[in-house]
Amino acid sequence: MTEIIVVTSGKGGVGKTTTSASLSCGLARRGKKVAVIDFDIGLRNLDLIMGCERRVVYDFVNVIQGDCTLKQALIKDKRLETLYVLAASQTRDKDALSSDGVRRVLDELAAEGFDYVICDSPAGIEKGAHLAMYFADRAVVVVNPEVSSVRDSDRILGLLASKTQRAEQGNGGVKEHLLLTRYSPKRVATGEMMSVNDVKEILGLDVIGVVPESTDVLSASNSGVPVILNEASDASRAYDDAVSRLLGESLPLRFVDEPKRGFFARMFGG
Amino acid sequence: MAVLLSDNSNMMMNKPADTSRDASHESAIDIRFGQVGLVQVRIRTTDPGVILDELTGRIATAPRFFERTAVCLDLSALEKSPDVAEVRGVIDAVKRAGMLSIGLTTGSLGVEALSGALQIPVLSHFRAHNQSVPVVQPPVPQPVESAGLPALMHHQTVRSGQRVYARNRDLVVTAVVSAGAEVMADGCVHIYGPLRGRAMAGAREDTTARVFCHEFHAELVSIAGVFRVFETIPADLAGKPVQAWLDGDKLNFGRIGG
Repeated sequence: MTEIIVVTSGKGGVGKTTTSASLSCGLARRGKKVAVIDFDIGLRNLDLIMGCERRVVYDFVNVIQGDCTLKQALIKDKRLETLYVLAASQTRDKDALSSDGVRRVLDELAAEGFDYVICDSPAGIEKGAHLAMYFADRAVVVVNPEVSSVRDSDRILGLLASKTQRAEQGNGGVKEHLLLTRYSPKRVATGEMMSVNDVKEILGLDVIGVVPESTDVLSASNSGVPVILNEASDASRAYDDAVSRLLGESLPLRFVDEPKRGFFARMFGG
Repeated sequence: MAVLLSDNSNMMMNKPADTSRDASHESAIDIRFGQVGLVQVRIRTTDPGVILDELTGRIATAPRFFERTAVCLDLSALEKSPDVAEVRGVIDAVKRAGMLSIGLTTGSLGVEALSGALQIPVLSHFRAHNQSVPVVQPPVPQPVESAGLPALMHHQTVRSGQRVYARNRDLVVTAVVSAGAEVMADGCVHIYGPLRGRAMAGAREDTTARVFCHEFHAELVSIAGVFRVFETIPADLAGKPVQAWLDGDKLNFGRIGG
């Protein structure tokens, strides 16, 4: 049974594409057959983050319009054998998407035996974001511990609960998960930043992961290697934990407390 | 009857409960959008004498109500389009009766030209009540007939941007009302959880309606159109069980359970 997961947020720039890339790799690494689709037509960047921007021949809109087959458009990842990327069109915009077209593509992916389809949503609440979430079974709502991001995520949660196929058909609704990104325990300790509990209280949901603020994310984007594949990074470990929790494991949250400096570190600095 | 008077007002928020103004001005001018109730005067003749007589007679029964009231002139009931001089005469008669004409309604021929010549604005067509309002006192709001209808129950979080409206009955919410969300009812609004958004009770002028909540962090509360915005929540109410009710024109807030 193919599971469709939408990665959305409302607010822009919080880490949706970074998360889509890392979650897809994390799942593929565990042997799942995964397709990750960029719904941000006209402003595509999933291909950059995945490092396959120079291999895009056909894109999502081409498939919808029948210019090519799905197999021709799917780009096989060079690092992970069961991972495929469907890039967005750069020359068109969101009006090129249609509900029928999206449904056909998702049905075809299911027929091809994909275990997971990750839909990387654009920011906002218009057509692109709406179509990315419409057919989802699960949602990962990416939130920064910051007031505007939290407010926008609340809005998105409202839309997930009302304007999706599962909500309309009364199929139990879309299963919602919160992923906190760009978390800085140090700033939370000084009271500058909202804590995990603050966010949980306002949004009324448990988190599926907390990804710490990390300079590795920028390096990852620049090099086209999703951050989860950088074993040395805290962000990578956090994403890996999130993947485990998505698959049903229950793990304690890491990276939420300020790292305690040892005696020598405090005495001699560093 | 040569003159028809009617009142119109916006349903949800037509007057603020608390008119204290912020005294600190940074710029010389603040421009804001507001909504006001306006008296509309529909005339069937342009004879200033007749107009003045009738208006004076009406006003005599409630002089304070009409003193220097802003009115909007509706010329659509006249048999033929008036010219500038005639309308000037009407405005003058209305002024002598103690009221000030501040605009013309749309919907009559030549109104744009008149507006230009007289230098008063054209205001959009009113959705006026068609029966004439008794002049002696302001219209009595009819409490909504909500007998027998069970309350509308809402058990999910009301998220930012969502709106829940209970028509002709009370609303009961057993979850959170997030910031940016709106919960409204013609009857009372009961929130068994935190209220962080807007709550509007008595949406159809039921002044007896109340708002109740478990944890008060509201952005705005309104009862029968009388509203109060909370830029900061008073310490004695913040996060506590609170109810709001209307006492005449005053919106009161108090702890529930003492």
